[in-house]
Amino acid sequence: MHRSLIASFALYSAALLLTLFTLAPLVWLVLMSISSPNDLTSVPLNWWPTEVDLSRYGHLVDLNNGAGHRFLAALRNSLLTAGGATLIALIVAVPAAYAFSRRGASLALLFVFLATIMMPPITYVLPLYEIFGGLGALNKTTTLIIVYSAMLLPFATWLMKSNIDVLPVEIEQAAFMEGASTAFTLRRVVLPLALPAIAATCMLSFLVAWDEFFYALIFTSDLSAKTLPVAIADFSAGRVTDYGVIASVGVLATLPPAILAICFQRFIVSGLAAGSVKG
Amino acid sequence: MTNNLQKKERTAVSSNPILAVENLSKSYGDLRILKDVSVAIEAGDFLVLVGPSGCGKSTLLGCIGGLTEITSGNIQIDGQDVTHTDPAKRDIAMVFQSYALFPNMSVGDNIGFGLEVRKVPKTERDEKVNQVAELLKIEPLLDRAPAQLSGGQRQRVAMGRALVRDPKLFLFDEPLSNLDAKLRVTMRTEIKRLHQRLNASIIYVTHDQIEAMTLATKIVVMKDGVIQQVGSPREIYDTPANIFVADFMGSPAMNILDADVTMDGLMARVEIAREDGQEPLILYDTNPGEGITSRPAGPLKVGLRPEALTDLGSRSVNADQQFDCLLDVVEPAGSDTFAVIRLGGTEVTARMHGDVDVNSGDTVPICFDLTKISYFDPKSGERL
Amino acid sequence: MSAISRSREKWVLLFPAILVLSLITVLPFLQTVWTSFTDAEITAREQQVNWIGLENYIWALTDPDFLEALGRTMYFTAVSVGLEGVLGIAVALLLNQKFRGRWFLRVIIILPWAVPTIVNAVAWRLIYHPDYGALNSLLLQLGFIDSYTSWLGDPDRALNMVILADVWKNFPLVAYIALAAMQTIPGDLLKAAAIEGAGAWKRFRSITLPWIIGPMLVVLILRTIEAFRVFDIIYVMTRGGPSDGTKTASFYVYQEYFSYLRSGSGASYAVVVAGISAVLILAYYAGIRRDQRGA
Ligand SMILES: Nc1ncnc2c1ncn2[C@@H]1O[C@H](COP(=O)(O)OP(=O)(O)O)[C@@H](O)[C@H]1O
Ligand SMILES: [Mg+2]
Repeated sequence: MHRSLIASFALYSAALLLTLFTLAPLVWLVLMSISSPNDLTSVPLNWWPTEVDLSRYGHLVDLNNGAGHRFLAALRNSLLTAGGATLIALIVAVPAAYAFSRRGASLALLFVFLATIMMPPITYVLPLYEIFGGLGALNKTTTLIIVYSAMLLPFATWLMKSNIDVLPVEIEQAAFMEGASTAFTLRRVVLPLALPAIAATCMLSFLVAWDEFFYALIFTSDLSAKTLPVAIADFSAGRVTDYGVIASVGVLATLPPAILAICFQRFIVSGLAAGSVKG
Repeated sequence: MTNNLQKKERTAVSSNPILAVENLSKSYGDLRILKDVSVAIEAGDFLVLVGPSGCGKSTLLGCIGGLTEITSGNIQIDGQDVTHTDPAKRDIAMVFQSYALFPNMSVGDNIGFGLEVRKVPKTERDEKVNQVAELLKIEPLLDRAPAQLSGGQRQRVAMGRALVRDPKLFLFDEPLSNLDAKLRVTMRTEIKRLHQRLNASIIYVTHDQIEAMTLATKIVVMKDGVIQQVGSPREIYDTPANIFVADFMGSPAMNILDADVTMDGLMARVEIAREDGQEPLILYDTNPGEGITSRPAGPLKVGLRPEALTDLGSRSVNADQQFDCLLDVVEPAGSDTFAVIRLGGTEVTARMHGDVDVNSGDTVPICFDLTKISYFDPKSGERL
Repeated sequence: MSAISRSREKWVLLFPAILVLSLITVLPFLQTVWTSFTDAEITAREQQVNWIGLENYIWALTDPDFLEALGRTMYFTAVSVGLEGVLGIAVALLLNQKFRGRWFLRVIIILPWAVPTIVNAVAWRLIYHPDYGALNSLLLQLGFIDSYTSWLGDPDRALNMVILADVWKNFPLVAYIALAAMQTIPGDLLKAAAIEGAGAWKRFRSITLPWIIGPMLVVLILRTIEAFRVFDIIYVMTRGGPSDGTKTASFYVYQEYFSYLRSGSGASYAVVVAGISAVLILAYYAGIRRDQRGA
């Protein structure tokens, strides 16, 4: 079938429009981060920077700069929190997923797992706040890691379960026949086979933890545990006169997930589809 | 070759079967897959479980291996009740239809997996793996990944993994069904040779009756989760327990015809109707069994193997019972020539010599040999 | 493995997960429910906590501010999920056509999804800035407005501006799901319909839409559940203002807890919000069931 000229025109216009709508806010964020403060405060705006100003990025990676110190601390906390929570969630999720997939654990229980993350966090936050407060565990990366791992766990279990479901069961049976225990089979046979799924689950879990704001806002109060989202909210709420600084922090915080998303798009999209649609 | 791969002494007194399955039933919900199955095998037996796809063969093997919970009944291995024992502790090895090799391990590691699980030291493990590889002629493949192997090679690796541990019992689940026809025949011979050499106890599942006939020392025919007959290949072939077994075992299948059977002195007179208007065939069975002699005359189903209908060749046939028959279709198959004849309201196959010169449409004399005729109840299909 | 040891093993495998979820979600939830029947407050002092029955709930359900916040949340949810659905399907239809550079669009479409929620909020706040924002400048230069507007300064408009920012971030997910579903439509089906003379709209209505409706329903309910608890973007963009114009339910509870320190009444609001979420979650499972039966 050949498209008419009008149809082609409409198609390419729509594609162009979509590209603009998708990219414009991001491009503008990047431009802001490298424009001089003067360009950013002229009316109407100076869209293209008169000169490229990379000094903000320089400051942000400089420990001796106030903003840099805050940013780097938050970056470290975010990496630790998201990484730690992902690791724990995976370690706990894999056996659970195996129980759901191969040991006939009731799917109703899995739905209960999933329901816990669909509930608004405000239903959990106050008792947690009081308990952690009582334990003197507020404002600690470990505390956030524990809370986040509970937040990541149901989805990770779900994803791993649907991936273990499609592994050939005979391979595990062969291992059992050869005398292997469940733990040995998991470690030596199932995990290597599920490696792509584990990678996808890790990535998605990491991104979710990287994005989390609410618990971090409430459970952390200073540089020792604040994560990037909280730090960014602080930056933008403070009396910053140079919006380019906020933009550059935003760009840096977006880079890791954006790179992961672009490089592992197929993984991520299929993981999302599995997580949101498949039963 | 260390002693674990050498021929085991066959126990003269077989009081203790190596495996005894008693009254085993298996249901998934309301669906009854296996119904009251009992089988036993002696040490050194090569038992072939044969039946159409979906009749529950793999399920039974899974129950014996401990991979599937059974619903009722019990299983003993070497005199010990293992009904509720881990597969790991049953001392059984299994070769899966899909081979189920570990894709992330080399061939050597696949074969040595069971030894690794048992924490056998690396040097001893390597030694045993090498022995098995030598036995199966796969030494050059030990470092390859399963994905790099051909179907036949994978099959050998799967067998190697089972052999290396020297278990009490081997389970084979349609191990040849994924191979092409030629390789299947080669591997069949090789498995038979292996069995003779190691004198292993084997339960072998297949839906291919030729495999069953060629390999088995004992055949179990199953249908819809019910055992139809247990016996030696000869018994199964010559005296099938019912029409299903008669039809399923043997290729081409046994001819099953409607006949009127009456006693004529000590002989049974078998009258088979022919096509429109032709005189019926009157055949005599000189040595009918008790089931016939004591039965009132009447319509029955009779079974005649294709080789019981043949041309006048070198075979010692009873030329008395010879009738001219119209050959509907002639199918030369090399060593034999098969001909389709219309008899008893159905199509029957005659097995003639490969070198007879006949064509479709010819009318030729056919000799009927009733020494191995089977009689079946027309309603139940059971052997009389 | 015997029946006993297998089923015991199942619980061993599940135990860590059940432990973590019980401690971090189930028990706190029960605690919240209990608190909602008391007059507890957040305080460092020893306090006498009294059981006051349904008083908090009576208060909550007659509190016009809270009911307004609920209504606002529902508006936010309905409009943003509705727009995401329409935009998502439209984008998927576009990406399902063959054209040059399609791969590029398919790749970059994931970027808004990858932008952290907080960064998204910050970026749009800057874009909406009343004095130096890109939106003002752009519309002025294009001649759509005569003078700069305070986009987030007007209580009636602010929520819609927040919705736009939320839609920008979340439409890619919906588009990807719709596209994935569309790609499973047998090409012959559409070709046959075209040969039968069905126009583009007719083909969409009678083939494409019914084909993708199951997965769409599920992903949109999931988005509804997420949108209903919206907090982050509000916190950064407007802090619930101006004049409570963007104060959603989660934000309301957050303030009740951490600004006014009334845990008892805050908990009752939280339980009401949780109840509505529970209904949505049940709808989600019903949607999945439906989707699977349809498949
Ligand atoms: N886990 C199961 N749940 C329900 N039915 C099953 C299950 N496994 C096998 N079956 C059914 O049991 C029957 C026998 O299967 P199987 O033992 O694999 O047959 P065979 O190996 O003889 O081809 C089939 O009808 C199959 O559908
Ligand atoms: Mg089978």
